[in-house]
Amino acid sequence: MRRLVLEIRGAGVRYRQPRTWRHRSQRWALREVNLELYHGESLALVGGNGAGKSTLLKLIAGIFAPDRGRVINHGVSVSLLALQLGFIPYLSGRDNIFLSGLLLGLRYKEIARRLESIVEFAELAHCIDDPVRTYSTGMQMRLGFSIAIQIEPDVLLVDEVLGVGDAAFHRKSSQALREKILAHDKTVVLVSHQKETIKELCNRAAWMDQGTIRAAGPVDEILALYEANGGTPS
Amino acid sequence: MIRDKSIVYGGLILYKAVAELKAEAARTYLSFLWWVLEPLMTMAIFYLVFGLFLQSGRKDFVPFLLIGLIFWNGFSNTVLHGASALLDNGPLMLQTYIPKWVFPLIVVVMDGIKFALVFVLLLLYLWLYGFRPTWSYLALIPLLGIWMTWTVAATLLAAALVPFLPDLRLLIASLLQLMFFASGVFFAADAIPESYRAWFYANPMAALITAFRAVLMEGTWPMWSNLWPVVLESGGLLVVAVLMLWRWDRLYPKLIGG
Repeated sequence: MRRLVLEIRGAGVRYRQPRTWRHRSQRWALREVNLELYHGESLALVGGNGAGKSTLLKLIAGIFAPDRGRVINHGVSVSLLALQLGFIPYLSGRDNIFLSGLLLGLRYKEIARRLESIVEFAELAHCIDDPVRTYSTGMQMRLGFSIAIQIEPDVLLVDEVLGVGDAAFHRKSSQALREKILAHDKTVVLVSHQKETIKELCNRAAWMDQGTIRAAGPVDEILALYEANGGTPS
Repeated sequence: MIRDKSIVYGGLILYKAVAELKAEAARTYLSFLWWVLEPLMTMAIFYLVFGLFLQSGRKDFVPFLLIGLIFWNGFSNTVLHGASALLDNGPLMLQTYIPKWVFPLIVVVMDGIKFALVFVLLLLYLWLYGFRPTWSYLALIPLLGIWMTWTVAATLLAAALVPFLPDLRLLIASLLQLMFFASGVFFAADAIPESYRAWFYANPMAALITAFRAVLMEGTWPMWSNLWPVVLESGGLLVVAVLMLWRWDRLYPKLIGG
């Protein structure tokens, strides 16, 4: 029997922003979403731009509260894979590892223990004490990824980013993330447009459209349904 | 579990405050010397204007003015920075869940460290000037406690309200300016007509600055009767601000980012 870790019941999320006193905007990014997440599964979210995929991830992560409906968390930790979280360019790579790690919810001791492997993975041992603003974009991405991959939530949420950097590091980083996703006790929700990636990594998929989940089920079926309705996973 | 979490967030607040201060220092040539230079320059300007050009004739006007300014600036800077605390961290709160009271408290720690430096310099100056420490210095402990509670309360409140209407930041700046003139930074309570004095002391900063001067310059105990209202106001405001931040904890990311 699969264990339910998180359920969403009739949830809606509305963005309401007072632009100026003359213009107000209000938009339901999620209308009515019902979803159950089971321990150890990897769920792919597919759908066009503006379908509500990222908003749903933020709802699952507990960043947003639903404006209607409910999110019931059965005692699991949930985190979004966030790259370069809270980086301060004027500080050294080392300082940013601690800062970003603490923001991701890691403990100081834990970060200190993993420091060496983080630096090594990012291939930045030669300049880890230089300010991050002196790094190239690729180096910053490598550092950001190496820290982000350290988190160990019960439910990992991934929004499109599967690998970063040049060809070589892209291979290495996506390999590390794949291993994490495929770990059997890890629950993952993955937003992706890449058909092959979804087929490789996920055992269930949900098709989102206009703020609702139109269908959920086996990956092949859902991808076929999504394509039949004009969706274009590459 | 709750104790566990507070330790994690406590560590985050301290680390990020120190990191931001380091980054701030790294952005200028004179680096952290500015933490002392900037308040010194502000004080020099006030000394020129109120001490020399507009001769007040009050005895010991310079120490009198400096005490008022230092406590006022400590309060006002923290509130102003607190007003932007949530807005500035929009991208961060859209990527990970962090309780929103963490952000204004980072500002409180940053400005608190700068204040501590200036406060030590103030004490040194007062001693050199001829005001020696007395037993009444013991009153500084509760006084600083009340001053900090009031500052934290106002900062959290500013942080909690601004995301709903970013224009409030401008309003808060004006409000602080008004309050500055009503806090007796460059005049004493006896300049206010007797009938209005209760109103004057209803302003927490006016009551606090008067009390700090009594301790630091006259070596007497402060008039506690003027301070009870401040304790009540600060405590009440703190509860309201914390409730707001708690109630709208998961609404702020939507208001700011989204």
